[in-house]
Amino acid sequence: MNLQTAIYKKYFSDLLSKFSESIDANEEAVFTLRSEQNTFVRFNHSKVRQNTSLDQHIIMCKFQKNKRVVEFGFQLVIDLTTDLNKFLCFLNDSRIQMSKMDASSDYTPINSVLKSESIKKINRPPDEQIIPWICDQFKNVDMVGFWCSGPVVEISANHLGQYHYFESDFFFFDYSIYSGPRAVKSLYSSELWSEVNFKNNINQSIQKLALLKKDLKTLNKGSYRCYLEPAAVDEILSTLNWGGFSQAQYKQGLSPLKKLIDKDCALSGKISLTENLTLGLAPNFNSIGEVVSEPLSIIKNGQINNLMTSTATALEYGIESNYAESSEFIKSLDLAPGTLSIKDVLEQLDTGIYLSNLHYINWSDRSNARLTGMTRFACYWVENGEIQGPIQDMRFDDSIYNLLGKNLIDLTIERELMVKTGTYFTRTLGATLAPGLLVDDMNFTL
Amino acid sequence: MQIDIQNELKKIKNDSDHVAFKIVKESTRDLSVRNEIPQKIQTYEDYGVMIEVMRNGHIGYAATCELNSESIQNTYKKAVEMTSHLSQHAVTEFNSSVRPPSKGHYISKRTVGLDQLSLAEAYDFLKTLCKELRCNSLIKTAITDTMIVETEHHYVSSSGADFLQNFNLATVSLSSTAVDSRDSQTRTFHGGRGLCLQAGKEYFDLSRYLNDCQTISKEAIELLKADNCPDKTCDLILSPDQMLLQIHESIGHPLELDRILGDERNFAGWSFVSPDDFGQLQYGSSLLDVTFDPFVDNQFASYNFDEIGNPAEKKFLIEKGLLKAGLGSLESQFRSGLPGVANSRSMSWNRAPIDRMANINVEPGTESLEELISRVDDGIIMFSNRSWSIDDYRRKFQFGCEYAKEIKNGQIGRTLKNPNYRGITVPFWNSLAGLTHAGTIEKYGSPYCGKGEPSQIIRVGHSSPYALFKNIDIFGA
Repeated sequence: MNLQTAIYKKYFSDLLSKFSESIDANEEAVFTLRSEQNTFVRFNHSKVRQNTSLDQHIIMCKFQKNKRVVEFGFQLVIDLTTDLNKFLCFLNDSRIQMSKMDASSDYTPINSVLKSESIKKINRPPDEQIIPWICDQFKNVDMVGFWCSGPVVEISANHLGQYHYFESDFFFFDYSIYSGPRAVKSLYSSELWSEVNFKNNINQSIQKLALLKKDLKTLNKGSYRCYLEPAAVDEILSTLNWGGFSQAQYKQGLSPLKKLIDKDCALSGKISLTENLTLGLAPNFNSIGEVVSEPLSIIKNGQINNLMTSTATALEYGIESNYAESSEFIKSLDLAPGTLSIKDVLEQLDTGIYLSNLHYINWSDRSNARLTGMTRFACYWVENGEIQGPIQDMRFDDSIYNLLGKNLIDLTIERELMVKTGTYFTRTLGATLAPGLLVDDMNFTL
Repeated sequence: MQIDIQNELKKIKNDSDHVAFKIVKESTRDLSVRNEIPQKIQTYEDYGVMIEVMRNGHIGYAATCELNSESIQNTYKKAVEMTSHLSQHAVTEFNSSVRPPSKGHYISKRTVGLDQLSLAEAYDFLKTLCKELRCNSLIKTAITDTMIVETEHHYVSSSGADFLQNFNLATVSLSSTAVDSRDSQTRTFHGGRGLCLQAGKEYFDLSRYLNDCQTISKEAIELLKADNCPDKTCDLILSPDQMLLQIHESIGHPLELDRILGDERNFAGWSFVSPDDFGQLQYGSSLLDVTFDPFVDNQFASYNFDEIGNPAEKKFLIEKGLLKAGLGSLESQFRSGLPGVANSRSMSWNRAPIDRMANINVEPGTESLEELISRVDDGIIMFSNRSWSIDDYRRKFQFGCEYAKEIKNGQIGRTLKNPNYRGITVPFWNSLAGLTHAGTIEKYGSPYCGKGEPSQIIRVGHSSPYALFKNIDIFGA
């Protein structure tokens, strides 16, 4: 923990105690605090396009009274008097406004007094050294990418004294290298900084780029046997996670996986999916401080085993909560491995398409769980187990009941851990652990 | 605590080529009501300062929400240190021409400010509309929501820029999901949060929406019994609330100069448009006129200056189908030598500005909607976006809509559900065969256009008439 982070830690603790003292006996409050000290550097043509240092500290308060709920939040100035006064201003206005409203479906009783602390520190060179080093490594190729680093803190506390503290110093370098219009994409992130491993990652990307210099293959629309690398699998899983595993979405008639949940359709028995917070890249507590200590099976052998169920949803529908976040998204996706060794992928693919990434996936038919999206980055045509050359980008449109169902051949034994690289508003915490996937008859339409 | 950034700027020992401070204060109230029960009632205040410095021609940034003099001075030092250090690795060496010394102000057009609308009043408004949506037992889920934003940007620079822009922005969304034993269909008020405008409290007048509630729910139920959209090639009319997506994805994004320059290749993507295409590429048929227009009353992304002080002006991006200018800020114009617009924009104080869309509009034609329909022997008219996907070069797209009507021999026929269409950008816009007149133009937009590393959302506006396209691939579920 650096000095600045230690000063903030003490400040946040003192501030949240003060906030809690303001809550009356017939009121409840839970606080979520996110603090970040970010370095963002974006690159184009292996040089620096923009650099930004950012300090931000966001407090959110879920305030409840007579089952009315109002949530409010603001950026902290890091001055006890100023921040407390602003909090009291929001609190008093909330008391007035909520008295004119009805009881909320988002009400959840607050009774936890648990405490926990998780701090992950990564020893690595300072950003000032790393950025020029990156420019130097890519001086002979056309690299475009994004360096993101700095400590991220997440705290959940409540007026009763619950206090969970999570701090992670995670970093990532998300980049692509180009040869003309064709590119290879990669990600370097690790809990142990290793210049050797970083260089290996770069060298592997450069080797892959050489394959893209072969003649371009333009394929007709139709069905093809395909191998999807873990990054492509993550794109599909992330789309399914967009409401697909949410109990509330299902109960409200909005779930794209309704037919799977109702057992009208099935996935392959090879598919098992878990919310696995033991990966350690996201806090094991949610925004109201509920703690998930064990992995939660979502799909087991092709069948829905659990849906992500927040306590608010559980109360509304009279079912059991599994302490999902209110959005009911899976934070750490863990897709079970199969029996295919990565070294055998090309041989088993035989003739078909090798897909390293997919792009911009969306539902084309929600009720039948049909997805559409594009191939992107290094995607190759393979004949008799040999890469022939890159393919022209193609659009797929296929049901999840085909891709992860009847047409699924196998998943790889080896899996890849991909940290979340999202940076909208705040840095996304979490990861996907996924194997590659071999599938028959993937449908391409354009 | 109020911070005088002009005063803070004066305090620094400036040895940079350029320094600017931008302070943003934004209040957002986000409410949703499901089946007349409050689901989310949230208020959030975003407040911070972004400092930009130019060192050796390289522009870098540092930002903080710690709004006190000491932190602001420290943040300035951070910006200087990092930017000086990295300037030897910079993509471009800019000069002061990319930061004009603009002065002035802007205020959103409104009758009564949104600060006069209380949280409880907004809740009552949504609850009433939600009740109206639940007019039939087949409506299983009715959701109404609104986002109410008041924001103020103040930018001052060492070169003398000093401008203040004050926005009132609002979205209203209505959604009805009808469910029977076989199907579930959702109909919304112009697609998710498509109905978004710069407006005041007057926008929250129930009489503007009550009739629409009845229509939406009736159409959601109608879709349960409707036939699927067929798979075929035919004429397609798009309503303005689908044109918003079509413009956004297949004109707006590919014309962003920072994409064309390659900045977004690792995330949002590149562009099929090359620098040589400006002045040469017949992007669409001769009917197609597309403008960057920051001065449309109440449109979601109207303003007087972009966020680096470039005065905004209306400009034709495409005229009579010919590509004329890109969506590029002064920085992108400097790098590419191409014509651009005032569109350097950021999500808030905590993100560096990049090339963004603002109001990108299709100009009207001359026909009435009835005349347009009468010209279609075999076709479909589609309404309200519900699905979108396009490749990273913005060529091959596939979009889905909520609701469609068949057109046979110039007459509207049966209702169709799950309508989708796909195409390739330039041939698609060249198949444009008709546009309705100015009186049919509708204004929509999105609060959520995503782009950039670090990622940021931005508010965009798109207005359009109805548009007829010939020989398009359509398909159903």
